[in-house]
Amino acid sequence: MHWGGALFTLCLSASLAASSTNNVPSAISGERYNEDLFIRPLLGWQNLLEDVLRDSESSGQHYTLFPLTLGQILEEYSIAELHLTLNSGKWDYDHWGYPDDPSVGTGAELWAWMADGPSSTIDERWTGLRNALAGLFCASLGSLDMRRTSSPSTVFPISFSPSTPHALRYANLPSENVCTENLTPFVKLLPCKSHAGLATLLNPQRIFDADWHGLSIHLRSTEKGTELKLGVQAVFDPVRLSGGRRRDWSFRLLFDRMAGSSVVRVQVPDGESHALSPTFVADDSAAAVYNLITQVPLDVSMSWPYEHTFQYTRVHQSRLVPLSIQRTLRGSSQIHVGYFENLPALVTLWMHTMETKVDGVKRDDLISNVTYHPHHVLANGQKSPSTFQATLTIPAASTLHLSMEVSRAFLKYTEHPPDAMRGWDLPPAILFPVCDPTMGICDMRSTSADVRGRMYTPSLLIDLPTPDFSMPYNVIIFTCTLITLIFGSIFNLLTRSWVIVRVED
Amino acid sequence: MESLLFLPVLATCRLLLAWVHFPVPDGLLIDHQLTSPLTSYFRLKEGLWLYNHGVDPYVGGILKHSPLFLSLFSTVPPGRVAWALSDIVGAWALVRIWRSRQQLGQSRRDGLVGTAYLLNPYLLLPSLASSTSTFENGAVLLTLMFAAEGRPSPALLALALSTHLSLTTLLLVVPVLMLLATSPTSQLASPRLFGGSYWKVLRYASEFVVYWFVLVCAASIMAGGVWNWMRESWGASLILPDLTPNPGFWWYFFTEMFDHFRPFFLMVFSTHLVIYVMPVCIKFQHDALYAAFLLLGILGAFKPYLTLADPGLFLSMFAVFPEIYPYLRHAIVTALLHAHASLLLPLFHALWVIEGRGNANFYYASSLVMGIAGGAGIVDACFAGMRIAVGSVPEVERGKWEVIQQ
Repeated sequence: MHWGGALFTLCLSASLAASSTNNVPSAISGERYNEDLFIRPLLGWQNLLEDVLRDSESSGQHYTLFPLTLGQILEEYSIAELHLTLNSGKWDYDHWGYPDDPSVGTGAELWAWMADGPSSTIDERWTGLRNALAGLFCASLGSLDMRRTSSPSTVFPISFSPSTPHALRYANLPSENVCTENLTPFVKLLPCKSHAGLATLLNPQRIFDADWHGLSIHLRSTEKGTELKLGVQAVFDPVRLSGGRRRDWSFRLLFDRMAGSSVVRVQVPDGESHALSPTFVADDSAAAVYNLITQVPLDVSMSWPYEHTFQYTRVHQSRLVPLSIQRTLRGSSQIHVGYFENLPALVTLWMHTMETKVDGVKRDDLISNVTYHPHHVLANGQKSPSTFQATLTIPAASTLHLSMEVSRAFLKYTEHPPDAMRGWDLPPAILFPVCDPTMGICDMRSTSADVRGRMYTPSLLIDLPTPDFSMPYNVIIFTCTLITLIFGSIFNLLTRSWVIVRVED
Repeated sequence: MESLLFLPVLATCRLLLAWVHFPVPDGLLIDHQLTSPLTSYFRLKEGLWLYNHGVDPYVGGILKHSPLFLSLFSTVPPGRVAWALSDIVGAWALVRIWRSRQQLGQSRRDGLVGTAYLLNPYLLLPSLASSTSTFENGAVLLTLMFAAEGRPSPALLALALSTHLSLTTLLLVVPVLMLLATSPTSQLASPRLFGGSYWKVLRYASEFVVYWFVLVCAASIMAGGVWNWMRESWGASLILPDLTPNPGFWWYFFTEMFDHFRPFFLMVFSTHLVIYVMPVCIKFQHDALYAAFLLLGILGAFKPYLTLADPGLFLSMFAVFPEIYPYLRHAIVTALLHAHASLLLPLFHALWVIEGRGNANFYYASSLVMGIAGGAGIVDACFAGMRIAVGSVPEVERGKWEVIQQ
């Protein structure tokens, strides 16, 4: 029996078109707001749900649908494009396929294209942006400082052609947790908050119980202005919610609420003996569409009436060996993909030990365009992350092993976090689309790129050898005692005079 | 050992060991007892990779070697034979030092002296691990050899090279200058005031500065005209940016040190090394070679990034001074402490770093034992070097008199 699952992607996107309106007569304010809830089955029982809400506005500084706080942040720091995602869990590409929003790296990921200038002002604006977003979303984005920031412009290309040069800043914090504290200010950015619209479905107790969940904020400048897209993606497991017996799902089960307005699309699994209720209105491309304007409240549910108890099928798990990626290619032709790694100064990559192997045979021709920046010491004594970028060519129907040696850093006493025995999280590596070099220069978003969107590897937990934290005084005492003993002995020897003494009988 | 062929046979065996690709476990290359961030061959290869790929190797704090090594190993592909040759050169230099001290052409003890260097496990294992401390020790021994044979220019050039490779060798400048101005023969039994001419010493010092400056300029040119290699290779001994564990004292002390006190204690530890120079040289002004030997012992216990090769050089040089053997008070204790430390250090290191089970304190404790062992060796050698001047109690009077210090 093949698997199914449901991916729930709730994308709330608000576009704000803030073009200069000096010569535009007072028109109807061009703010638009769309909502879209897309439910897609994944494996046998999990549901992926995507809820998208979009806003757009064209008048100058009028913020009615578009959130004022974000608009002010954009203005203050001259930001052209901003992407913030807060995710929790590991996205299983092998079983869940591509997500609708490609940014599924664990933890907090923030990248922004800002108007170019001297690098100190860019860094200042980056710090200001991080602190502003940290305050806005109650997330500790302030720790995405220069120890985790880099500038990989091929991995995160700007999505429009800017007239002035822009600079990129990217940072990733895999140990950031997502919780209701982040969801509440997120929902506050919507025009009606959580009182109306699909945002009423966002029950934090259900969303954060999902197998994988993530919040995303995407701000882009388009010709018409700025587009803001707020998204919530979650992978629900109705079998677990129902106590391990049935894979029927409904809004009541998933969200414990009913939907308010806008459009809900449910992707119908094929070949299953299921029943979808209420009867769906339109069916385009294997998705049932419900227009919520007419049917309020709405409880969509899918059930398998002829199935008594759901049986799990056996799954072959693909292992992930630390710092070697294993990607099984199911395609029939070879794939070019870019690999990007942004590691904080906790680990040192030893590039001269890098090895590429296919089925045990060394194939160094499969890796090219290697760019490596080792971590260097910044002005305040901290170390910047090391970035490694390469283009990998994965032959058809094969497994490419990329491995290199890594050594762990020995940190000072004060650099360890309070819970030092837990270890540190390493950010996920990113596989990003590059074009086949034989096809010449091509557009990153064209279909000729082999990999659609970015793919994230799971984040790793690394255990650094810790000193004994109860020992500073003792270490100083022991070491200084020993040095003093030896120094004292030598001093005595060198400065005393010899005396011959008669031994008394 | 008395045969004339003994040393050449030993040298051939050492070369064969390198040639035959004796299966050295990979773990030796990165073993923290045998190599340090300043001497690790692994980092040198990484620096070569970065250099070949257009990345500045001195930016990330990965490479802490001198640019001379980079340029040497980018032209000559690094092989284990280079280390075997350096070992042989060091042993040969030690034999020549012994011969100049005894004013003999050849002696029966040559084989023993060579063996003390080639078969010393403290020196053999780092050499097998391709640690560049082999080259540093070779340079130091060449310096002492040329100085003992009374050839100033090669001695000063070798001294400039050894100071360039490892900053802490600056401690040896004063005894080498004194040695060039006097003779290497054993004067321990008859101490007298410094007999050399101070003008000669000053001339030699200025010549040393010139050689040193030339080497610095050569290294800067090889590094592409930049000066940041100085901060990485010499500054590492002063600032201690890398807290990798090693058998020395510094790493754990500065791991546990709060940032506020760090500069003060770095200054204290560096000054501590320097304050031994003048007292030892003044006390042993009649025998500059012995003063150099004692300062090598100080370095072998208190150096910033210590490896086993540094106390190894000190222990091997004991073979050059047989006159002090009767006056060593606790040679066995020193040997046992060294055995104790050298067996415990790799064990506790593996337990803490590799397996993650033990505590850092075990390794720290064994490094303290190593420090005591080094200190015991220095104190004993110091005592014996001075006691020999007083002379031994004649047979008739033994038991009635005792020689002490006060």
